[in-house]
Amino acid sequence: MRRRELIGAVAASALLPLPSVLRAQPLFRLALTPVFLDNDAAVIERLRAALAAGMERDIDLVQRRTYQEITGALLDGSVDAAWVCGYPFLQHRGQLSLLGVPVWRGQPRYQSYLIASAGDAATGLADLRGGMHAFSDPDSNSGFLVTASDLARMGETPDSFFARTIFTWGHRNVVRAVAGGLVRSGSVDGYVWEALAAVEPDLVARTRVVSRSEWLGFPPFAARRGRMADADILSLQRALLGMDRTAAGREALDLLFLDRIAEPDVRLFDGIAARMAELGQAG
Amino acid sequence: MRDGTISRIPITLRVALAMGVLMIVLGMVASQQVLRSLSRLHDDRLREIARLHVEGLSVALGPLVLHKDVWEVYDTLDRARSASDGQRMLFTVVADDRNRVLAATDPVRAPVDSNAAPFSEDASDLSGLTASGNAPQVRVRAPLLVAGRTVGQIVTEIDVGDLLAERQRVTLYLLLANAGATALLAFAGYFLVARMLKPVTVLAQHMDSAGGAPGRIPESEIPSSDTELARLLRTFNTMTGAIDARAEAEKRLAERERFVSLGRLSSSLAHEINNPLGGLLNSVDTIRTYANRPDVVQKSVELLERGLVHLKDVSRAILDENRLDRGGLPLRRTDFDDLKLLFEPEAARKGQRLDWQVRADMADLASLPAAPVRQIVLNLLLNASAAAPEGGRIGLSVGPHEGGVELTITDDGRGLSAQDLDRLMSSAPVAPGGGVGLRLVHDLVAGLNGRIRHIRDGGRTSLVVFLPRAEAA
Repeated sequence: MRRRELIGAVAASALLPLPSVLRAQPLFRLALTPVFLDNDAAVIERLRAALAAGMERDIDLVQRRTYQEITGALLDGSVDAAWVCGYPFLQHRGQLSLLGVPVWRGQPRYQSYLIASAGDAATGLADLRGGMHAFSDPDSNSGFLVTASDLARMGETPDSFFARTIFTWGHRNVVRAVAGGLVRSGSVDGYVWEALAAVEPDLVARTRVVSRSEWLGFPPFAARRGRMADADILSLQRALLGMDRTAAGREALDLLFLDRIAEPDVRLFDGIAARMAELGQAG
Repeated sequence: MRDGTISRIPITLRVALAMGVLMIVLGMVASQQVLRSLSRLHDDRLREIARLHVEGLSVALGPLVLHKDVWEVYDTLDRARSASDGQRMLFTVVADDRNRVLAATDPVRAPVDSNAAPFSEDASDLSGLTASGNAPQVRVRAPLLVAGRTVGQIVTEIDVGDLLAERQRVTLYLLLANAGATALLAFAGYFLVARMLKPVTVLAQHMDSAGGAPGRIPESEIPSSDTELARLLRTFNTMTGAIDARAEAEKRLAERERFVSLGRLSSSLAHEINNPLGGLLNSVDTIRTYANRPDVVQKSVELLERGLVHLKDVSRAILDENRLDRGGLPLRRTDFDDLKLLFEPEAARKGQRLDWQVRADMADLASLPAAPVRQIVLNLLLNASAAAPEGGRIGLSVGPHEGGVELTITDDGRGLSAQDLDRLMSSAPVAPGGGVGLRLVHDLVAGLNGRIRHIRDGGRTSLVVFLPRAEAA
């Protein structure tokens, strides 16, 4: 029924490109993993407006608490596309295809930061043994996989190495947990940490980066492999890739501290795949 | 009655002060009551604030504590803290069912998994919460319930600095206002009472104005509105008038007393004059009969002369006693001779013996005026004669004594009555009747700055009058 409606809508839009018809289309749903400033309604709204303008239709941005919920919604078709982390993308690589990868500071990559409170003297992961550690999400590359795989290299697991680990379900929350002193250290998305440094300098100033990972593939936009040929998916991809060429898109990208959305290249995520392998997980 | 310090304060002031004190006590009691109500109100408000605060957190935290979700508990507390930034919540710690810290708004102060007992120990329950401790923050604990089961505990420090400040401010304002109102009431009470009692003040002032004598209150000072007090003041005026009239009457009476003593002597003196007259007439007959016998005539003329001289002395003494213009004459020994001359016939008439001793000389007596001293001695002698029985003894002794002259008049009568002593010794108003001469003696002695002693000893009454020597003016 949904597909029939969609086909009908596409057909209708081809015949009658009228605003009234646009409103009649079913809502396009794009899910956002809590990678970024998921608490900033203004940023979310600008992104939604830019993409809606680019796709020339109304879209809904869907937020969930965990990565797993987003990945699940994407896989079962509850949402049409999603901005996911490279790690769950690789976990479901067989079912998902890339639509685009954001470019941050000139390249489509980012780092995972190991952070501690500003006054902490730790110089590396090894110094943080026995403390409390905050992860962002068990399905986050920068917020879990990187540190977990580093520990695996040391022959440790998070539970054996740290006195206690907690999941904060958001990179910003990791920064809050470390800054507030709830935990000694945290694993956080480097892009989020840097962006927060500009948006909430007081919060970030209470933390310091202990170590940075190698450059890894930036969280991409993905859709189910089977829907890649759908017009609305293609429309989204066009809107994403063309964001830096529209005023609304430019504005949204600026708020997100991103340069643009680039054509995807799955090889960007080889680094993440390697870390997954170290944890004994297949890519 | 007039010995207490308080009782020396005028009654108008006392009543007004009592009014003021009453108002102050009233103000203090009222303030105390209001402060107590205020304190109760503040405690209720604090409990309500704490209850809402803790209940709000409890509802949100219950399930999270049940699952021991450290991050969510922290996140909830942190957001609650940020939301109430600068408001009440200062610090909150949430513990699990084993009282281990799950999370706190300040994890450095209460690290995860540490013992929460130090925080909950000195915290009070919601019901026992009070802001009266004067601490700017209170710590309250409450159990965290999920479906009726206690899954943990929440301890939170609430900032009550504003409540405290408000309470102190309200207390201060209240006390100031009450003090002001009390002062106002006290002053108003004072003025009102002072105004109401003004006629009493006027009365008191006129009671002893001009050195103890009551003075008349002018009609202008009598209030027209207050009939009771106006009546009191008018009655006082009437009484003052009566007292004046009485004093005037007494003065006239005293004036007359001067002559009364002579009046009392007159019959004796008539005898004194009459008795020699018979002898004198006989002498005249003898002269007429024996005109040719020079020796008889000579003898009769001598007799006639002595008799006439005696009569002349008696009449001069009487005249002297009644002369009103002798004020300036000094006392001399001859004055006592005159007195003896005047008094002797009276004593003789009653067969009384007279002990007459005048030992003072010119120097002792000269500084005293003659007229009042003669009046004093004559009146006391007449009283002594009246008191002494037929054939009794009367004595007068005059002698120098410690810078003055002492006159002692004694008799062997039954003594002076209390009433007579009052007349003689005190200035109190005299009851009608009785010996008026005694009051005259009292006034004359007082006028000479002298004093009178009364001695009753062995059936004899002695009245000792001491008159100090007048300073040479």
